[in-house]
Amino acid sequence: MEDEGILSAESRSRLEGYYANQVAASTRWATVAFAVLGVLLIGGGIILLFAHNWENLSRSARAVLSFCPLVISIGLSSFAIRRGGTSLCESAGLFHSLAIGACIALIGQTYHLPSNTPGFLLVWALLIMPLIFLLPSTGAYLFYLALICGWSGAAQEEYGQALGFWLLLIPAIIHAVRRVATHARDGLLSLWGLILMLPIALGIVLERTVPGLWILAYASLLSLSGLLGLRLAPAESGWRNPLLTVGLSGITVLTYLFTWQHVWDDIGWRYISYDGGHQAWGIWIDPALTAGLATAWALAAVKGLRHASLPSIILCSFPLFAGAGFCVATYSGSVLINTLLFNAYMLALGLAYLVQGCRSTQLRQVNYGMAVLGLLLITRFFDSDFGFLARGLAFIAMGSGFLATNLIMARKKQQLEDRQQ
Amino acid sequence: MNWRLILFGLLAAAQIAVPWRMIQQSEHVLQDGELFRFKTEPIDPADPFQGRYVWLRIEEDYVHLTEPETDAIDYNVTGYAILDTDPQGFAYFSTWSTERPTDHANYLKTKARGQAVRWEDRPQFTNPGTHKRTRVHQGLQIDIPFTRFYMEESKAPRAEVRARQAAREQDCWVEVRILNGAAVIEDVIAEGQSLRDLARQGL
Repeated sequence: MEDEGILSAESRSRLEGYYANQVAASTRWATVAFAVLGVLLIGGGIILLFAHNWENLSRSARAVLSFCPLVISIGLSSFAIRRGGTSLCESAGLFHSLAIGACIALIGQTYHLPSNTPGFLLVWALLIMPLIFLLPSTGAYLFYLALICGWSGAAQEEYGQALGFWLLLIPAIIHAVRRVATHARDGLLSLWGLILMLPIALGIVLERTVPGLWILAYASLLSLSGLLGLRLAPAESGWRNPLLTVGLSGITVLTYLFTWQHVWDDIGWRYISYDGGHQAWGIWIDPALTAGLATAWALAAVKGLRHASLPSIILCSFPLFAGAGFCVATYSGSVLINTLLFNAYMLALGLAYLVQGCRSTQLRQVNYGMAVLGLLLITRFFDSDFGFLARGLAFIAMGSGFLATNLIMARKKQQLEDRQQ
Repeated sequence: MNWRLILFGLLAAAQIAVPWRMIQQSEHVLQDGELFRFKTEPIDPADPFQGRYVWLRIEEDYVHLTEPETDAIDYNVTGYAILDTDPQGFAYFSTWSTERPTDHANYLKTKARGQAVRWEDRPQFTNPGTHKRTRVHQGLQIDIPFTRFYMEESKAPRAEVRARQAAREQDCWVEVRILNGAAVIEDVIAEGQSLRDLARQGL
């Protein structure tokens, strides 16, 4: 191409550099994956070897052997800190994280200690937390996220509250922010872990003393996530923008849930739970947490509205609709208005994506819009007392609509490509 | 020296100190604690982290208190259950104290869990031949911290079967060392021998 004058020498060397980097990056990830897999297999093998003769060993021998994985992992991690290198740090971090849990569990087993799951998970999480920063290791970070999420569930079950989760979350957020700022690719993985864990943990940590407050908390959290995604990486979407992807998908799931009548039954301040399963202070903590999330969303929404795009309109409007629905259900007790409102919202959401996808000839958006519309229409059909004939005809019509739209879009795209060529 | 290595050294020391302290505490109780025998009935479940174990259902898992005394103690409150031994040599919890005892070490630090009751079918004198389910107050229910006896995966179910047979004949107990509120299991005895030896022999 250079001989024919299509590429200059400078462009050729830049292209070569670009592809060399791509190959290096994929090789690096393969090395990390193999190193992690190797460490897991070796760790598993050591544990199986111990287990084979475990019963025949004396108590003191078992106690000493319980330390072996931990001592090996400490050696490996200190070597990784001195040598550096992603694959070494990742495998050391993961092995070290597993070794700490294994050591404590084996000693608990040797001395028949009583089970204290939240205590065990908390100690495990606290002991691996510094590894995230010292190695640094994304594997150890993901392990830490899983442990604090597990701890919140166990603590809620055992102590009736898990407010400490928010303190435990701080190091994870610091790591994710630093990682995003310095290592774009590793940062994405860290961000995915954090944003997938947060909605699960929020559901566990909420005290549920005020029924229905989760509607506002989740609407604010997911919209905030989406708005932050839009702000931090406006040009990215899909797996390259986890905050936006989880925010928008979460909002679609919530909208669908809100189209059901029973979600809005018996919610609000009139139905506060006082029984033994709920903490009395939940009446203050849950609203404070929700207010915090809503404030953060409002601040992000004020800035997000400056860029009028379909995602930003959805992300800025959704908590307002959810808030209005909560107020209607709380003060009037009428659930029908809310279900109608969110059926209409879901219809508008699907149509908006469909129209925007058609205009910008983006097949992914068209299919997303069609999927949202299809889900709504199919559900309402099964929900209502329509006859088999009507349902059958409607399904055929919807299927035909899907196929026809895809066909038209594919042709339109082909024409555009031909014209460009 | 690299500051990261110094911090890592501190972390490694903490990581070793936590399990080391667990061992030290347990060994202290096993060496200096007094031996108590509790009648038990074993059941075989599993723990996702620690593996297969035999769950010991302790017969005397309550403090011998009257109903008004039990009602006066708050649910979930931490206290000290004082140990005593019956004429057959089996242990039971005789009294409850909110203060840590200072004159002896034979007590268990635990939590109160409300009333311990059992249901009995008692004959009705007004209607001969029929029985009525009657609630019998036993005392103050407490958390028992020695209910897990870990065993090898394949042996735990076998051990459970043998031990249940022994429990039916009142021939199964757990030997526990207790010292200053802490308890550590030493062994489980069924049919006069250790549950581990019994499981090795098969059914």
